[in-house]
Amino acid sequence: MTFLQGSLLYGLFALSIPVIIHLLNRRRFRTVKWAAMQFVLKATRESRGKKRLKQIIILTCRSLAIAALIFAISRPMLGGFLGWGSGKIDTVVLILDRSPSMERRETDGQPVKRESVLARVATAMQELDGARLVLIDSATNEAQDIPSPDVLPELSTTGPTDAASDIPGLLSTAIEYLQEAKPSRSEIWIASDLQRTDWSPDDPRWAAFRAGLEELQPQLVQLRILSLNSRKRNDYAITTLAARREAGELLLDLELTREEDAGPATLPITYNINGARSASTIQIEGQSIRFQKRLPLEGQSDGGYGWVAIPTDTNSRNNVSYYAFGAESPAYAYYVHEEGVPEEVIEAVGRAAAPGLPNQELTILPENLGHQVDWERASLVVWQAALPTGPVAEQLLKFIQTGGVAAFLPPAQDSENSFGGISWGSVTESDDGRYFIVKDWNHQDGPLRDGVDGTPVPLQRLRAILRREISGDATELAEWDDGSTLLARRIIDNGTALFLNTLPDYTWSNLEQTAVHLVALQRSLHLGSQRHGAGFFAIAGQSNARPEAEEIRSRLDAYTKDDPANADYEAGVYKFGERTVAVNRSISEDSLEQTSNPDLDTALVGTNFQLFEESAATGAPLVREAWRAFLVAMLLLLIAEALLCLQPKRPLAPPPPPHPST
Amino acid sequence: MKYDFLDSDVLARLGALPVESRLAMIGNVVGKHRSPHRGSSVEFAEYRKYVQGDDTRRLDWKAFARSDRYYIKEFEADTNLRAYFLVDCSGSMNFASGEHDTKIQYARKLAASLSYLLVNQGDAAGLSCCTDTLHLEIPPSRRPAQLQIIFDTLANIVPTGETGLIGALHTVAEKIGQRALVVIISDLFTDPAALADALQHLRFRKHDISVFHLMDQQEIDFDFNRPYRFVDLEDGTSVVAEPNLIAEEYSAALKEFFRDVEAACHDVHADYHLVTTNQNYEDIMRDFLTARLPKQGRG
Repeated sequence: MTFLQGSLLYGLFALSIPVIIHLLNRRRFRTVKWAAMQFVLKATRESRGKKRLKQIIILTCRSLAIAALIFAISRPMLGGFLGWGSGKIDTVVLILDRSPSMERRETDGQPVKRESVLARVATAMQELDGARLVLIDSATNEAQDIPSPDVLPELSTTGPTDAASDIPGLLSTAIEYLQEAKPSRSEIWIASDLQRTDWSPDDPRWAAFRAGLEELQPQLVQLRILSLNSRKRNDYAITTLAARREAGELLLDLELTREEDAGPATLPITYNINGARSASTIQIEGQSIRFQKRLPLEGQSDGGYGWVAIPTDTNSRNNVSYYAFGAESPAYAYYVHEEGVPEEVIEAVGRAAAPGLPNQELTILPENLGHQVDWERASLVVWQAALPTGPVAEQLLKFIQTGGVAAFLPPAQDSENSFGGISWGSVTESDDGRYFIVKDWNHQDGPLRDGVDGTPVPLQRLRAILRREISGDATELAEWDDGSTLLARRIIDNGTALFLNTLPDYTWSNLEQTAVHLVALQRSLHLGSQRHGAGFFAIAGQSNARPEAEEIRSRLDAYTKDDPANADYEAGVYKFGERTVAVNRSISEDSLEQTSNPDLDTALVGTNFQLFEESAATGAPLVREAWRAFLVAMLLLLIAEALLCLQPKRPLAPPPPPHPST
Repeated sequence: MKYDFLDSDVLARLGALPVESRLAMIGNVVGKHRSPHRGSSVEFAEYRKYVQGDDTRRLDWKAFARSDRYYIKEFEADTNLRAYFLVDCSGSMNFASGEHDTKIQYARKLAASLSYLLVNQGDAAGLSCCTDTLHLEIPPSRRPAQLQIIFDTLANIVPTGETGLIGALHTVAEKIGQRALVVIISDLFTDPAALADALQHLRFRKHDISVFHLMDQQEIDFDFNRPYRFVDLEDGTSVVAEPNLIAEEYSAALKEFFRDVEAACHDVHADYHLVTTNQNYEDIMRDFLTARLPKQGRG
């Protein structure tokens, strides 16, 4: 609770007035000569206990009535958001979460969470006469002086965005502002839905924030969190995972998610490609479903863009996902082999990497020409030689980091080189008359995963005589029956390095007959080709979602109305100079994980923060004047005092008997 | 009149009512009150067998003729009444509220008027005034001059000190022999148990006991609206109290006191009258005298 006229609280000294009057009154007695003294003495003795208690209660009622009156004229502000002892607030720093998750509308006709909290903050600021309001919004992360709380909902810096929030970063900005402005008494209000990905409670910057707050003297800076984390309605979200050309069609990898598994549901989906619309339905079971959609390109060879949308529901910001794709170009694979590799092996690997499908090109290079690989256009590099070192290794590593896939096959010669912490060991030969057979492999993930229809790759038919051991820290995707690794994977940033420890050569194994390596390399080529599409996607709020110097931005899609003031943080398809970029919200914004109270306690330990959990739909004000309640309390206390002061009906004294009793 | 506690009109109106005793009295002369002894009145009492030494003139010859036995015919003896007024002169009797009489003034009226009526009908009246330090006694006498002594004494008494009622009752009980009318006029602010003992003593001596319990109306109502310092009229001790807060307990204590006193009086068949000083004393006396009239004739 805070008081707008706090100085009037000194009037609480008036609480002693009833007591003083009572004491003075006790001294202002009259004297009477009395005959029936024995009854007065007896009555005084007997009435001491309960009468004194009654007297104390009456005095307490009078004192509390005065206290209630003083509280009332001190204009108390009530509301769970403001706690007791706040005193007069000089500055309020409002940290506003403008991430897409704040655009939930829990009830039809009600404002979204962001609008709701803005309206209530505006009302609260009007109640806090004279307090300065400083806004730090999650998109710009800049402190902005708000001249009047009335304009708060109208500002572009309080509008919706598709950019994720970085609460630790926003708090750091708030601390910097307070250190510079040095207000006498300030409060930091955080209006957020406590989405864990925005709060990152494990972020090391929390410690820096706590230290900064400590420097500002915590008693002068109060931290209050307005949590708008209620979720009453289910919400569907659509996300484009990838968009690429494939056989004259655009192949979209999509994901439909929902917050609650409400049983099977069919949802209409609208597709837009270069302005042409089409629609279909998708049935979802469980919480999410990943699916592919092929859209005909009808001979179009240059790039394009579009969006995928589901009907508007609880949160309209996650009901659309944008995509863009480039001009038609083949998927390039490179095969680098060591000297002396049998021609049959080179052919076998080559057939697996480029089995004659359209838009696939394979370049075979000897080890000494490994530097000739076109790292920019390559999607897959098959490396069957001693692990690279030097500049080639650096280029290969960069290729992987940018989304490429490298498949390492065992060289014939021993080498101590390592790549990404993994190296080839010695060659192992199976016992006479026996083969290495596969014990198990990952059916869900990796290049040996089961097909879309659930058919497993025929890995159980694999028989090997020779293998080269893999050593190093990598994820095992398939293992031999003796526990040794057949296929290992190491994910490096956006790309993947695979290590297969046998060859499609009859002196090594029957890999050529099972064609397992073909499946693995084709899937790897497919995965690697996505690195070329990645350049058409950006996350709202991040640097690649903004035009570079001398690039002019223009929005291409017309799904939503353009908001030039927030263009840096809005999802959509943009033209940055010659580039076409589909800007989407961060996938993390669809996360259901909330920052728990223990997480907050840990992140904000020692800050004496106050958490105010409030449903966005209630619309209850953050603070409100409470003088009426105190006046009512005063009235009730005075009535109680009056009732206590009322004399009980006295029993009538026995009248003199009219006649003699005997 | 010389004495302000006497009202000739009241006395004239009450003069038609005799002061009767409820018990047989033992007087020293012939009077109009019943005696426990046999005498020479016209009221037949009983027959009894003749014994040697009886006066033969009192033999009932008609009874002898009927039964051939000697019977003596006896008649009731009439005697005078000795009344003893015991007036409490403690300091508490000096209390009065408003324009009403003090309790001692009221007591004077009662004692003087009854004395007058008694002496006027040929009975003896005496007076005892008591405090804790003083016990003034005027023995009963039927002489008209006795009234002058009683009136002067009543006029001169000044209520002071603590009550000596209990001691005075025991003294009177021992002193005045048997079968007298003892009229106690007091506020009875003493220990009810001791009072009961004293009354039992009087009853044991076969006295006819009457009690006028004087109270002021304010002592009963206890109606005050502000804190007061109550100063005891008897010993001067004081206490500050807020009457509003203790009124309930005061009333309860007073009620208990009345109950105890009335019970003590009832046990000894005393004629108890609770009188407030705002009541007309003529009405009180008329009620007192009327109630004592014999209801079915003598015997």
